[in-house]
Amino acid sequence: PAYLFKPWHSCPPWHRGDRNMEKPGHREGATMHVKKYLLKCLHRLQKGPGYTYKELLVWYCDNTNTHGPKRIICEGPKKKAMWFLITLLFAALVCWQWGIFINTYLSWEVSVSLSIGFKAMDFPAVTICNASPFKYSKVKHLLKDLDELMEAVLERILAPEPSHANATRALNLTIWNHTPLVLIDERNPHHPVVLDLFADNHNDSARICNAPGCKMAMRLCSLNGTECIFQNFTSATQAVTEWYILQATSIFAQVPTQELVQMGYPAERLILSCLFGAEPCSYRNFTSIFYPHYGNCYIFNWGMTEKALPSANPGTEFGLKLILDIGQEDYVPFLASTAGVRLLLHEQRSYPFIREEGIYAMSGTETSIGVLVDKLQRKGEPYSPCTVNGSDVPIRNFYSNYNTTYSIQACLRSCFQDHIIRNCSCGHYLYPLPPGEKYCNNWDFPDWARCYSDLQMSLDQRETCIGLCKESCNDTQYKLTISMADWPSEASEDWIFHVLSQERDQSTNITLSRKGIVKLNIYFQEFNYRTIEESPANNIVWLLSNLGGQFGFWMGGSVLCLIEFAEIIIDFVWITIIKLVAFAKSPRRRPAPARYAGPPPTVAELVEAHTNFGFQPDTANHSPSAEAYPDEQAMPIPGTPPPNYDSLRLQPLDVIESDSEGDAI
Amino acid sequence: MAPGEKIKAKIKKNLPVTGPQAPTIKELMRWYCLNTNTHGCRRIVVSRGRLRRLLWIVFTLTAVALIFWQCALLVFSFYTISVSIKVHFQKLDFPAVTICNINPYKYSAVRHLLADLEQETREALKSLYGFSEIKARRRREAESWSSAWDGTRPKFLRLVPLLVFDHEEKDKARDFVTGRKRKVSGSIIHKASKVMQVQESKQVVGFQLCANDTSSCATYTFSSGVNAIQEWYKLHYMNIMAQVPLEKKINMSYSAEELLVTCFFDGVSCDARNFTLFHHPMHGNCYTFNSGDNATILSTSMGGSEYGLQVILYINEEEYNPFLVSSTGAKVIIHQQDEYPFIEDVGTEIETAMATSMGMHLTESFKLSEPYSQCTEDGSDVPVRNIYKAAYSLQICLHSCFQEKMVEKCGCAQYSQPLPPAANYCNYQQHPNWMYCYYQLYQAFVQEELGCQSVCREACSFKEWTLTTSLAQWPSVVSEKWLLPVLTWDQSRQINKKLNKTDLAKLLIFYKDLNQRSIMENPANSIEMLLSNFGGQLGLWMSCSVVCVIEIIEVFFIDFFSIITRRQWQKAKEWWALRKAPPCPEAPPSPRGQDNPALNMDDDLPTFTSALRLPPALGAQVPGTPPPRYNTLRLERAFSTQLSDTQLPGEP
Repeated sequence: PAYLFKPWHSCPPWHRGDRNMEKPGHREGATMHVKKYLLKCLHRLQKGPGYTYKELLVWYCDNTNTHGPKRIICEGPKKKAMWFLITLLFAALVCWQWGIFINTYLSWEVSVSLSIGFKAMDFPAVTICNASPFKYSKVKHLLKDLDELMEAVLERILAPEPSHANATRALNLTIWNHTPLVLIDERNPHHPVVLDLFADNHNDSARICNAPGCKMAMRLCSLNGTECIFQNFTSATQAVTEWYILQATSIFAQVPTQELVQMGYPAERLILSCLFGAEPCSYRNFTSIFYPHYGNCYIFNWGMTEKALPSANPGTEFGLKLILDIGQEDYVPFLASTAGVRLLLHEQRSYPFIREEGIYAMSGTETSIGVLVDKLQRKGEPYSPCTVNGSDVPIRNFYSNYNTTYSIQACLRSCFQDHIIRNCSCGHYLYPLPPGEKYCNNWDFPDWARCYSDLQMSLDQRETCIGLCKESCNDTQYKLTISMADWPSEASEDWIFHVLSQERDQSTNITLSRKGIVKLNIYFQEFNYRTIEESPANNIVWLLSNLGGQFGFWMGGSVLCLIEFAEIIIDFVWITIIKLVAFAKSPRRRPAPARYAGPPPTVAELVEAHTNFGFQPDTANHSPSAEAYPDEQAMPIPGTPPPNYDSLRLQPLDVIESDSEGDAI
Repeated sequence: MAPGEKIKAKIKKNLPVTGPQAPTIKELMRWYCLNTNTHGCRRIVVSRGRLRRLLWIVFTLTAVALIFWQCALLVFSFYTISVSIKVHFQKLDFPAVTICNINPYKYSAVRHLLADLEQETREALKSLYGFSEIKARRRREAESWSSAWDGTRPKFLRLVPLLVFDHEEKDKARDFVTGRKRKVSGSIIHKASKVMQVQESKQVVGFQLCANDTSSCATYTFSSGVNAIQEWYKLHYMNIMAQVPLEKKINMSYSAEELLVTCFFDGVSCDARNFTLFHHPMHGNCYTFNSGDNATILSTSMGGSEYGLQVILYINEEEYNPFLVSSTGAKVIIHQQDEYPFIEDVGTEIETAMATSMGMHLTESFKLSEPYSQCTEDGSDVPVRNIYKAAYSLQICLHSCFQEKMVEKCGCAQYSQPLPPAANYCNYQQHPNWMYCYYQLYQAFVQEELGCQSVCREACSFKEWTLTTSLAQWPSVVSEKWLLPVLTWDQSRQINKKLNKTDLAKLLIFYKDLNQRSIMENPANSIEMLLSNFGGQLGLWMSCSVVCVIEIIEVFFIDFFSIITRRQWQKAKEWWALRKAPPCPEAPPSPRGQDNPALNMDDDLPTFTSALRLPPALGAQVPGTPPPRYNTLRLERAFSTQLSDTQLPGEP
């Protein structure tokens, strides 16, 4: 009723002021709407709450599409309570289940699909190295001092009699004094005796002890030989091998790479014959790369300059066939004790980490390698922590000079090299060098051996690197099935060697031998690929359908119900605001009661007055079902109109309709 | 009207349960259909015309049927599995590596035990194949066996005679010791002939195993004398070794220092102390690297051969048993720390004078146990006692099962497997006919008659190291010259011998990269998924929810039955009243009155419509009631005006 709200129609002075302030805004059309809207809001605020919380709730329950609330209001008191609890329980369940689903979605799980079969694929890049990095004949002048020293050491170990001691020729002992091999006599555990192998006092060193208490060690010193540690070895073989490698590394590190390439095995000496499918190929099809540990390595089908060669058929006939000569007689004796070809199959444009992942092929045999390409394609962030091209890895890739793709091996090696450069101020010979740095050697960096050995043993360093490096998202592995047979057979040996010698050296003599010759067949297997591909296990559609399913299952709700609910909440807030405003204004009104005869009703009173009328029938003694059958209440007097009106107002029209329908049948 | 009301009041008073408001089932149904939240029912009631109504009934029923069908499908497909493959790049635990010499015991140490057997074997070889003397590559020191036959009665050949079968005479066999022909009774079992057709040679060699009473015998023949002699030798060998105590056997075998010349792991030297002894009945002393015995498991944080395990093994071919093993080298197996190394089953052989490089890739697999599959987590729910001191695996279960059966049936345990508690290994002295029993049992086991295969279940999770094995020549021709003397010097603490290339084998075991693949089975469905799928189905077909289901339960079970019971109760009361009535003369009118309302109660009851149709008795209304009613009516209007009012300010 309008009269009830009459006092609120006059705006308070501060409100008026607001309106005046806004007046200039009338000129612009854009501010018109805003102003209108604000005006509307103002009116509302002035008017006070049109309806109450309870009204709102009942209205909501009656008209919502969710299933529970409806029941709350149209049942008796006991059932009402029950339905209230059920609705609450279901709402809680829905929230809980939604939480689970959203959590599942945010865990970014992946599902994998696996496909196996044969298809025409790019033939893998094949890297071939000789197990010996250099030809001994060409590298002899560099290693002369070291070899003499090594021989003396061996002599010393094997023939401890002093008779040989005088054979200590004019040895270049500078290398030796830098990092000598020593013998630690621990037979008395409290007083270990350290014996230099070349010590002058023959009384002690002459008797090289070979008892369990003695062990060989390498003395690694830093700070001009003042601070030393001993790297222990349980066998002399290891000790001398490690010592030799360390010294040789230091020597080779000073030689420029071009010279080192010259000293290695040239392609035309290594690769005798090559056949890819039916097409002949030669050493010219191989890309040369200098790999410090194995010297010259040759990569077939690297795909750096030209397109990668595909192979469309399985089987030996369509693969790569190679005949190699490793020239075992010219191996560096102390550097390479294993003879054979090092071989690695890898992806195009990737750097061959042949020492880590390579396999051997033996001389005098034919090694057949069946290839299965095992690909793993990952989704990347946020599904799995991997990197597509390594640009987001906080480590400088030193292998980028080779124009190769990112791989975790490259990252780990770069990380290690980076640590060495930072700690020892020089780079290790086996890993690529960033511009402006130098390789470590004994002359320029006398402490490097100690520093390197410390770093190599340090687990912290490795773990930091593992923590920093990320895997590549596309991981390709080549699963190899290796089989071997003797080659050439005794019957064919003669002519094969003859032909190959003739071709390579243009000599009628046989320049090859069983000890140097290796045959390789690399081919695709019948099933040449196995691809594991990740796809998101839970996408947004999945999430929505499950959220909908849960809401529907427990409460029969939908998004519209949520909007309804939001609407109600907004209404609630609105009512609260209006009420608060009204409450705040009410004391101000009090001193100015001029226009009214009686005291104006308080907000609460007004609200009470409104609400009680409308919802009296909903109180406990008057259940809604009773309204449907009003005769119960209207027992004594037939046809009393009040209940009829009552039901008329509350009951929707269609009830009447359907009832008449039912009668019609 | 009065009697109806009375009855209702009575019902209300008497019934303990406050029943449904609808007085009849029809009324209840109507009420339900109109008020339910499901979509079909309402249409049925609301539709006009029979065809439409029928159609809606059909639709609703179809929807219900579809819901049931789809939900059943969902329930049945609940236990499905989805597989996920994950790759981690991380620090990996290095597996345990067990290395054995193929030859179990030093022949020089064990020879005194096997002297008789060797002599008889030679004799058999001589008479069967005319082989006179071993022309070994290296002559053994005490080579006095050629003059053997000292006239003593052969012990082993008598126990299990080697027989030569002539093809012509089917059931006759020649005992080659006595030269006598003897009749072969019992079944002749050709080894291998069951699997493939063996080209029949003229002579077939085999041996006969008999039960105690020698009445039932089984004869085993072999297509080749090599197999026959080896099997025959092995039988006796196991027999002899079963009587030797474990300590003695360990002493007769190789020591760790002897087997391992050098050892290098992750850039650090290691030695025999890093290996733990593991005695295998058929392979003698085996040594396990990184067995986790001292509670630390080594791990690798770098891939590549230099960071793995590098060992050089000493394989002394001179000490090989010529009849027991015919290949030279070592066997290696990579396994989990708590796993039993089944070295004779799944070991990889290593050749001498070679470097064997084994690149590993780790794959972990996890299966889901019950109810998804039949696998077992730790074997505790498998009714077979684990006689191995190792974690459960299918192989352990099968071997344990066989051994238990063996003890049960033959009374003694088979030599190549661990001893179950309170059992002894089989030997001739105590169990003269164990061989026959064993072979019978073995046959049954292979043919899955013992039930082991059905009892044993696979383990749910396992780690697998896939190996890429390649060989290279080692030592190289040029390094041989210095390497062998140094290795000889290293080994000189144990043996005083110049090492040869063929006495050594190099082994490299390393992680190729630190990628670990985990293949995991996950439940494809969870209970939440199932519920939400239910919800989707219910919502799709009928816009139904659990609330609806509760409604249905409420209406169709509780209300329905309460109406029925109410009526029954009423009838019973009626009947009771009737029984009591006869003595009363004024009874007749009242039963009729009571009878009627029960039957057509809805006619009597003033429903909403009937209430509306009531004659306008407005004039007879009670004063005092109207004001509140009017008030509410007015209030309603007030709301509408107010709403329009709110929009008003927009217009000026």
